[in-house]
Amino acid sequence: MDALKWVATNVFGTPAILLGFIVFLGLLLQKKSTSQLISGTFKAIIGFLIINAGAGVIVGALNIFEPMWKEVFNLKASSLGDFMGQEKFNVKYGSAVTLAMTLGFLINVLLARFTKFKYIYLTGHMMFWTTTIFAGVIVHSVGDVSFGKLVIFLAIFMGLYWTFQPAIVQPFMRKVTGNDNIALGHTSASVALLSALAGKYLGNKNNDSEKIKLPKGLEFLRDSNVITALTMGILFLIGSIILSTKGTPGAEELIAKAGDQNFIIYSIIQSFTFAGGIAIVLLGVRMFIGEMVPAFNGIATRLVPGARPALDCPIVFPYAPNAVILGFLGAFVGALIWLVILGNTVSYVFVPTMIVLFFHGATAGVFGNATGGVRGALIGGFITSTVVAWGQYFMVKMLISSTIPDTAMWAADNDMFILGPIVKFLAQLFF
Amino acid sequence: MKILCVCGLGQGTSLILRMNVETVLRELRISADVENTDVSSASGMSPDYIITSNELAQTLAGTSAKVIIVNNYFDLTEIKAALQSQLN
Repeated sequence: MDALKWVATNVFGTPAILLGFIVFLGLLLQKKSTSQLISGTFKAIIGFLIINAGAGVIVGALNIFEPMWKEVFNLKASSLGDFMGQEKFNVKYGSAVTLAMTLGFLINVLLARFTKFKYIYLTGHMMFWTTTIFAGVIVHSVGDVSFGKLVIFLAIFMGLYWTFQPAIVQPFMRKVTGNDNIALGHTSASVALLSALAGKYLGNKNNDSEKIKLPKGLEFLRDSNVITALTMGILFLIGSIILSTKGTPGAEELIAKAGDQNFIIYSIIQSFTFAGGIAIVLLGVRMFIGEMVPAFNGIATRLVPGARPALDCPIVFPYAPNAVILGFLGAFVGALIWLVILGNTVSYVFVPTMIVLFFHGATAGVFGNATGGVRGALIGGFITSTVVAWGQYFMVKMLISSTIPDTAMWAADNDMFILGPIVKFLAQLFF
Repeated sequence: MKILCVCGLGQGTSLILRMNVETVLRELRISADVENTDVSSASGMSPDYIITSNELAQTLAGTSAKVIIVNNYFDLTEIKAALQSQLN
């Protein structure tokens, strides 16, 4: 018994070790060399530990961003309250998330093998975030849950989602790509669908976005680090200028945080720090996903004849590069509008998740263009920002506030916002 | 030989490209260390080759690595042709 308990605590209870173990098995199944076994397993473990470091950096910058915009909108400084935060949450539930993600993938493979839905979900980093956010929703709604129950519930839910989400989008995906070989496996699926439908009724298909010439100078928008820093930079800049002229006690208090440094410069540095934090987290995720997904793929292609890979959203970008930019612009403008509206109506400081605005907005743009041309692409972007803004408000305030609202502010996105209430409902039903 | 597969976020798409590049390299019996990353990190690394799309190749203009352009990340034939013409 003691040995079992030791394994439970030290292997299954330590997410980094558990992840290393899963990756080790995956590499072993692929018959990799000893050197690849060692480097892959180590990278998985290091990668997981890096995530916490990056999450800390992001929260540090958000701790300036939030009060700053609260002061701009004259909101009462009700803080987020007591919550665990990504770091503590990972220590306690990281193993359950890791295991649920792995088992959920196996359920996806089995469903693909035995039903007509031949889709294998391969967007590994989204698999990780979606499972993490849903775990946060469950723990928030039903309190401390047992390891086993959490894993089983999440694995089944994720397995179903990863199988059927690509299937639902596929009719429009065929329209975008012109073939049936690849599917969209990404949490932007809901806004892709919504904008394809909106484009059909509100757009004008004949005015295809690819007929127009967009300036070459917009190419920098394809670099995620640049968009992150840029979007946050604009908001930090506006916020800090308003605060500098305000002279209220709250504003003075925030400005004092900059010390000798000019407050505007200090704020701009925060936006770059925020972008740096995201880059750190993504580096960590990349280090283990890069080992895990090829193993997953190896298993899936061996077990499922005729499997169709469901892949990350940028795979649709080459089919309509202009719609990518238009979708992002629609999402960006929408996010600014919703930031002001949310601040003034429900007193919530919306953190525009830049990666979401770009990647999801762009995907929505491509789908919107396929059914509704330029107008469809712009509307698709706007729909994205609408779901993201209101979704983040509901999730942070109601679905996840005691667990990981910090993570929900920048890593949660469209499908998670739409499925979040369902997860909460089911969790209350079963736990 | 070190090869980097690059996309905007360095997560999903570049990983898919990496898997396809590894498949092609196996067929060609070329052994190489293939990794995937985002476009900003790639500019700071010094691999022998960078494989990416046409749009991102422009951002990577200053790199010392040889840039190989692949437009369809799933077209093994295109990847194979691009690699064969550049690696020899």
